[in-house]
Amino acid sequence: MIKKISLKNINFGFNQKFFFKNLSINFGTKGISVIIGPNGSGKSLITKLLKGIIFPHSGEIQLSSEKATPKISYLSQKITFLRRDVHSNLAYPLVIRDYQNEQIKLKVSEVLKNFNFLDKVNFSARSLSKGNKQFLAFIRSQIIQYDILVLDEPCSNLDFESIKIIEKYLLNLKKEKKIIMVTHDMFQAMRLADEIIIINNGELIEASKKKDILKSKNSFTQNFFTKHVF
Amino acid sequence: MEVFFNSLSLILSFDKNLYEIIFLSLKVSLVALFISTIIGLPIAGILASKSFLGKKVVLIFFNSMMALPPVFVGLVLYILFSQSGFFGFMNILYTPMIMIIAQVIIILPIIISVSAELLENIFQEYKELFDTFNVGTLRRVKTTLFDARFSLITCILTGLGRALSEVGAIIIVGGNIVHYTRVMTTTIALETSRGNLSLAIALGIILIFISIMLNYIVISIKNISKHYSYD
Repeated sequence: MIKKISLKNINFGFNQKFFFKNLSINFGTKGISVIIGPNGSGKSLITKLLKGIIFPHSGEIQLSSEKATPKISYLSQKITFLRRDVHSNLAYPLVIRDYQNEQIKLKVSEVLKNFNFLDKVNFSARSLSKGNKQFLAFIRSQIIQYDILVLDEPCSNLDFESIKIIEKYLLNLKKEKKIIMVTHDMFQAMRLADEIIIINNGELIEASKKKDILKSKNSFTQNFFTKHVF
Repeated sequence: MEVFFNSLSLILSFDKNLYEIIFLSLKVSLVALFISTIIGLPIAGILASKSFLGKKVVLIFFNSMMALPPVFVGLVLYILFSQSGFFGFMNILYTPMIMIIAQVIIILPIIISVSAELLENIFQEYKELFDTFNVGTLRRVKTTLFDARFSLITCILTGLGRALSEVGAIIIVGGNIVHYTRVMTTTIALETSRGNLSLAIALGIILIFISIMLNYIVISIKNISKHYSYD
């Protein structure tokens, strides 16, 4: 059970120029939080800060659960695969966690079967189509045990069928795990989100429950939704 | 023409002297290559995967060392390992051992520089993947080395080519002693100056043959890697 996910007074930037100035966000501890905002608003940076791929110059990233520090599984917007086949790419996160060979085989086949991807097990991961690579990257994010799933545009190259599979999976998964995701697709945000976080130019514009966001009085939120949804 | 036929006859009759020279050449160069690879690849792996103060200086140093004149390497080793030199007590001047050391000094920078550049490209590509799965430093280096294995073999074979064709350093430190430190390149230099062109040309043919074989292996590896490197 997640107790807290928050960014507190985060300062972060490039070339001595701060992009995030005292950014604070409290994420809901249950369900799906969707981060939206224009290009370059800092959505991906927030996911990277949460995962610990980049570190703030100052401020605090607070993650806590009833047990120890919650484990995060992260799917980056930039998809990279090892120069190996699909099986080895999925096995890699387990190999580095010292899983036994038999366990690895079982886990990889199980996850591939769940996502109906078993027929591509021996394909070179890097030769797959863009859509299949994106789908495989999502599958890979499900191979390790985690408490929080952080997804940066998980459906950007996917066809309608694959998007449906992933959305159905996420809606089912949110009963057990906390999910934080970035998307550019407003309709997807409305389909999946329990909470919507709007970011612009490194600043938090609004964080509200989905049902409240359309009634928002914030002018940026109103403009943003008018442009992208209506 | 007669010289050429004499050369072929030396090769085809499995002339004992000729093959002794060839085997010593291969032995010295392969041992030097093995040592350089064992030392060079981990250094290249660390240079590719770690950021540290002075990394650029180290890279510039190894890049510059690639152009090191072999004659100069030979001269420095001669001074260091001669009886009055700092390492004179080791008594290895004019032995195959010092020839191996000379070749290691010549090919190690090639293996480090070329491999480091190659590994750094792959490492940068994999960096976010490694961060995502919290991969430790040693595992990062191992994964990068494994995924670059086919390209690394090409680098290593380049080093072997350089070692086999080297003459300046080993003629100074090896002394070109018959049945002991005489290798292909030093024999070619000596026999040409003595006018014994048959042996020189025979060894030249063998060197060209080895060079063609090395290139053939490199091309084959590139073709195989297309199937098995999953790139």
